[in-house]
Amino acid sequence: MSTALEAAHRGLARVWIDFESALVQVPVIARLTSGRLRIEDYRSLLFNLRQQVIEGSRWISLAASSFGPEHEDLRSMFVRHAVAEHRDYRLLEADYVAAGGVLEHIRAGRKNIGTEALSAFMYQIASKRDPIGLLGAMFVIESLGERIAGPWAKTITAQLGLESDAVSFLTYHGANDAGHIDLFDQALSLAVGDNEAAAEDIVHHARVVARLYRLQLEELDHV
Amino acid sequence: MQPVYVTASAQCLPGAPVGNDEMADFIGRLSPEAERLGRLTLRQNRIRHRHYAIRPDGSSDWTVARLAGAAVRNLLDTAAIDADQIGFLATATTQNDLLVPGLASLTHAEAGLPPMEVASLQSVCASSMMALKTAALQVAADEHPAAIAVGAEFSSRYFRPDKYLGTDVMRADGTLPADAEFLRWTLSDGAAGLLIEKAPAPRGLSLRIDWISLRSFADRFAPCMTGGAVHDGNGAISPWSMNGDIGAAAKAGAFQLRQDVAALYRMLPVWLGEFMRLVDLGRIDPRAVDWFLCHFSAHSLREEMTQLATRAGCMIPAERWFTNIYDKGNVGAAAIFLMIDDLLRSGQLIHGQKILLAVPESGQCIISYAGLTVVEAGQ
Repeated sequence: MSTALEAAHRGLARVWIDFESALVQVPVIARLTSGRLRIEDYRSLLFNLRQQVIEGSRWISLAASSFGPEHEDLRSMFVRHAVAEHRDYRLLEADYVAAGGVLEHIRAGRKNIGTEALSAFMYQIASKRDPIGLLGAMFVIESLGERIAGPWAKTITAQLGLESDAVSFLTYHGANDAGHIDLFDQALSLAVGDNEAAAEDIVHHARVVARLYRLQLEELDHV
Repeated sequence: MQPVYVTASAQCLPGAPVGNDEMADFIGRLSPEAERLGRLTLRQNRIRHRHYAIRPDGSSDWTVARLAGAAVRNLLDTAAIDADQIGFLATATTQNDLLVPGLASLTHAEAGLPPMEVASLQSVCASSMMALKTAALQVAADEHPAAIAVGAEFSSRYFRPDKYLGTDVMRADGTLPADAEFLRWTLSDGAAGLLIEKAPAPRGLSLRIDWISLRSFADRFAPCMTGGAVHDGNGAISPWSMNGDIGAAAKAGAFQLRQDVAALYRMLPVWLGEFMRLVDLGRIDPRAVDWFLCHFSAHSLREEMTQLATRAGCMIPAERWFTNIYDKGNVGAAAIFLMIDDLLRSGQLIHGQKILLAVPESGQCIISYAGLTVVEAGQ
């Protein structure tokens, strides 16, 4: 029999593999991976991501305050995470300007349909007591950084002839999220232990977030 | 699925084993630089011997149907059953001798069997599992008392210099693109088959087929191993028949086998993810597997995959992997039957042991797994 922690790792790996391998079905990602990306696509990607990322450290902070005394380790991890990422959206704004966009436009942007769903889900879970399931959400977001951001930064600069100052957000996450994943593994061990229900809860939340993140990419500029 | 049993197995490997030093005599020499790339591929796949149905002068007495037919005849020689009891023949191959008709018809004729039901399964390596599942279901459904699944390949004939020289794919320095060269040093010839019956053999070892699973992920992968395609150089392909006259298609390299190796490695996580799905479904218990027959070498898994599998409780220790690829080569659609035949003859199987088969196919991303249990007569 496999352990609860193995089941959590297995469930998360399945969510990630399914998400990553099927991303090519999203039109903008299909163009990116086949070398047909346009500068308008990249600006749209930055514009739409910014409206989600600006909420990131806020729901992480809210989640931190929802962890009771039995989960102090997770709380401090969430607090540190919120501090590390709470100005990330500024990298997206700077990239947007470097890629030919107007700062006032990206700052005045609305969340797209998918981003609304993703943010609303995050805040809703974060406000519940002991929101262990959010580890599943963090897994998806951190895996995006660890596994996808770096290669995307390279292919975008190559395809569009951009300078590195136009891909600072992707480059930063590509370079730093591997460390975050190690921290995540520790947090997962703490949160799951031998608790099968916790493992299932985390995998369930990862599955929802993976679907909503994809929805955000499918609904670029649809507000 | 109603339990059915593998009651006999057989193989047909043409000629004597060919070592790495002699293989260029058989597939032919393109250039010293091409052979350097070949040695690189051999270091990675670690194959030491293989069999070729082609002679060094390019002639052959074999066809893929004759190889399959010979394997079926060998199978009948070992089986405790008359040929007229066998109502169904399923064949698996990557490339048939002819475009039309199917390999099952050609093999039926070569095998000398009476009138019967046939099915031609054409894909790449996983066509073997398509044939096995079809044969198993035919017997389980009581359509036939016994069925044969046979896989066969004769790929060396496509690797001869005359299939490349004068085509646009051949470079000025005498080399081929890596996706064309790779397969010349990877694939070889042979056939193997299994007999499926409703009950275990009265003597010796049988294998109960507990389940067979096969899944395509073509919803997310473009073709990655191709034959009959014209590549436009930007990742797009089109069928050979839609590129002007037949000479133009041939000149564009349409009739060459190609394997995008980078895309193959992108499929690894998906194959592992399917393994995990079967663990979650309770079909695979990695700790209970005694023999893991994988048409993919353990050493080819990269560190990252091994780590992922280990953390998820899905890594089967290397000592429980069984393979014959290093001595018999990569025989595509015949490979898994060849492994089963060698394992059945190894003298190492014990009643009750669990066998897990894994056959990934890079063509457009398929993965097949199956669970078998060793049954010894009289136990």
